[in-house]
Amino acid sequence: MTPRNTNTPARNWRDIPQQMSPRTMSQEGRRRVMMSVLKTAGFAAVLGGLVWGGFEVAGTFREAPSKKSDAIQAAPVKDLVLMTDGVLEQAWMNRTLALPRNTSLMALDLYQLRNRLLASGQVRTATLTRSFPSTLTVSISERAPVARLSAQDKDESPRTLLVARDGVVYEGVGYDASMVKTLPWLAGVKLTRAGVTFQPIAGMEPVAELLAKAKMEAEHLYNTWKVVSLEHLQSDGEIEVATKNATKITFGVTEDFFRQLANLDAILDAAAAHPEKSLREINLAVGPQVPVAFADAIPASAEQVAGRSAAPVAPSRATTSVPALILPNFSHP
Amino acid sequence: MSSRSTFIGAVEIGTSKITALVGEYTGRELAIIGYGECSSRGVTKGAVVDYKAASECTHSALEQAERGAGERIELVFLAQTGGHLEGFYNEAAVNVKAADNMIDAADIRTVSDLAKSKELPAGRMVVHNIRRPFRVDGRLVPGNPEHLVGQRLEVGYWNVHGQEQRLADNIHVIRGFNLEVRELVLASLASGHMVTTPEDRQHGVLAIDLGAGTTDYVLYRDGGAHTTGVVPVGGSHLTNDLSIGLRLTEGQAEKLKLRFGRATVQARDKAEKVWLDGNFAIGDRQFPRQAIEQITAARTWELLEVVKKKLGNAFSPETCAAGVVLTGGTAKLPGIAETAAKVFGVAAHLGETPSWVAENLRDPGNHTALGLLYYGVQAQSDRLATDRRRGGFLTSVKKLFASN
Repeated sequence: MTPRNTNTPARNWRDIPQQMSPRTMSQEGRRRVMMSVLKTAGFAAVLGGLVWGGFEVAGTFREAPSKKSDAIQAAPVKDLVLMTDGVLEQAWMNRTLALPRNTSLMALDLYQLRNRLLASGQVRTATLTRSFPSTLTVSISERAPVARLSAQDKDESPRTLLVARDGVVYEGVGYDASMVKTLPWLAGVKLTRAGVTFQPIAGMEPVAELLAKAKMEAEHLYNTWKVVSLEHLQSDGEIEVATKNATKITFGVTEDFFRQLANLDAILDAAAAHPEKSLREINLAVGPQVPVAFADAIPASAEQVAGRSAAPVAPSRATTSVPALILPNFSHP
Repeated sequence: MSSRSTFIGAVEIGTSKITALVGEYTGRELAIIGYGECSSRGVTKGAVVDYKAASECTHSALEQAERGAGERIELVFLAQTGGHLEGFYNEAAVNVKAADNMIDAADIRTVSDLAKSKELPAGRMVVHNIRRPFRVDGRLVPGNPEHLVGQRLEVGYWNVHGQEQRLADNIHVIRGFNLEVRELVLASLASGHMVTTPEDRQHGVLAIDLGAGTTDYVLYRDGGAHTTGVVPVGGSHLTNDLSIGLRLTEGQAEKLKLRFGRATVQARDKAEKVWLDGNFAIGDRQFPRQAIEQITAARTWELLEVVKKKLGNAFSPETCAAGVVLTGGTAKLPGIAETAAKVFGVAAHLGETPSWVAENLRDPGNHTALGLLYYGVQAQSDRLATDRRRGGFLTSVKKLFASN
């Protein structure tokens, strides 16, 4: 075996063909080939799909750019879905939005529709969402009324309006009439027109807080309140409440409402022990010493006053003209 | 795992066992992440004689290694051994073309091609062209001679060639697992690379890999492989001699060899006997220890003598200052280093596994597979780098579809 010199390179092991022959493959080898083929096929399919999709989209935009949007616009609105945290109903929304028939979802001007919803003071926020292919979802959060007032334009019959915590005045829709009847009337405010609605009432925040606290902590007192006046709110920082018994209660906005309500409760309890006396006015705005005025004052002797000094409520020499000072024995928790 | 890693398999189809390793090559470093081993079947003296049996064993080892690594092998470095491998030395010389006698790349290419251009007999194929150092006007140049000045450029190649069918059989076994054989590496080069240091190779060292069916050797000089060879005799011949000499079955002889075999005769008492099994079972027999040692020592001496004879003039104690390094499964035979030292007349020792190799792989029998991985990566580093560069996006996308 003697190699000879030559000009051509000798054959190398790399010249041995490495093609696959199924005959020479083991089971594991065949499985690997199958996996490899499947992977390649999958890869080719995905790549082909991407290329085809790309061509389709590119073609659509090249030939008719409006085609795609036309197709979307062609789908009419079939469902209107309302989601609310209040009392408004589907019928109200249908009325308010007043969508034309067969309007496509894409043709809707959501900004304009939202403004229509917000035009009703009852709606605090509104979100409109297109859910393709044909659903418009409306999510709203509503204002809750804290008081009511009666307004009357020229040549019109009086109408009841509701006032929210933020002072927005609106015509309530969908509320239970019995609930509305429990709301106190608002007095001492001047409504100002702003288009078809009214300007919000300034300073409603403390009033709403007082009413909410009274309703929550002393509902038996709240239920007797008939009119809440804001007449002296701006000037004196006082909220005046007229009860069904014609008692005028004055709350100060600088004092803690809870303490004032507690004082009031104590005074009323003490006064209940004297049914012969009718309360005319209670002023809780002046601090710990609460002036109470009685409608029918009966002069009391000095002994009587002295004998009642230990009582929680000790009106002394109360008259219609000179309010007596009382010192309620009440401590805030 | 980095998406830029290449997962390389190193496979040694040996006579006693088939070893597969999985290496993760990141471009800068190589980590061994999987190992598989299977008792060999269908392989005699390093050659595949039963394709189906050899395939099943090899695929089992590969599967085991892949499972351990948790990754799929992308390409394979395959160890090559067997009596069919032969080598010859061929050299060529050219006159430097440039007027200023400065050697350029074309001169180097021409002289290298000439030295490699040797027609082989029919059915033979080149496995390796191992270049020896260049000479410029007779002066040894260990590195690249480009831009050096001289009139005559010479180079020699140690060309290793093998029988085409044998090489194809080994490659087809790997292809049967749907893997590409990227590099065919002589087993001697692989194991020699593992057990010798660059300093050893510079000073001259002979690495002998004593396998079960073959003994592969490589002589290093001047920092590179000088001569390689394969002797189709290995540890199984020791077993065979014991079997014939003591009238035992192959299995019994193997057991005796592993327990009492030695490369030097140590037993002085002729009457000292050893039990075959030592479990006092029926059929257990006694054999003279000295006889066992004499048989294994004689065969080992003979084997090493054959290696020395085959090396011929290439080996001399003067050119082999670093001595002899022994590796392979049969190198575990006690006293073999002493025998090798006596045969070759130089210091001999057992090859040590580098400290960075995991504990479970620290066995002389694994040196070929380990070396295969490291030698292969070194030899293929440029090509592997190109592969990884080609990877990029497409490889990343393909890996999305990969299910391991």
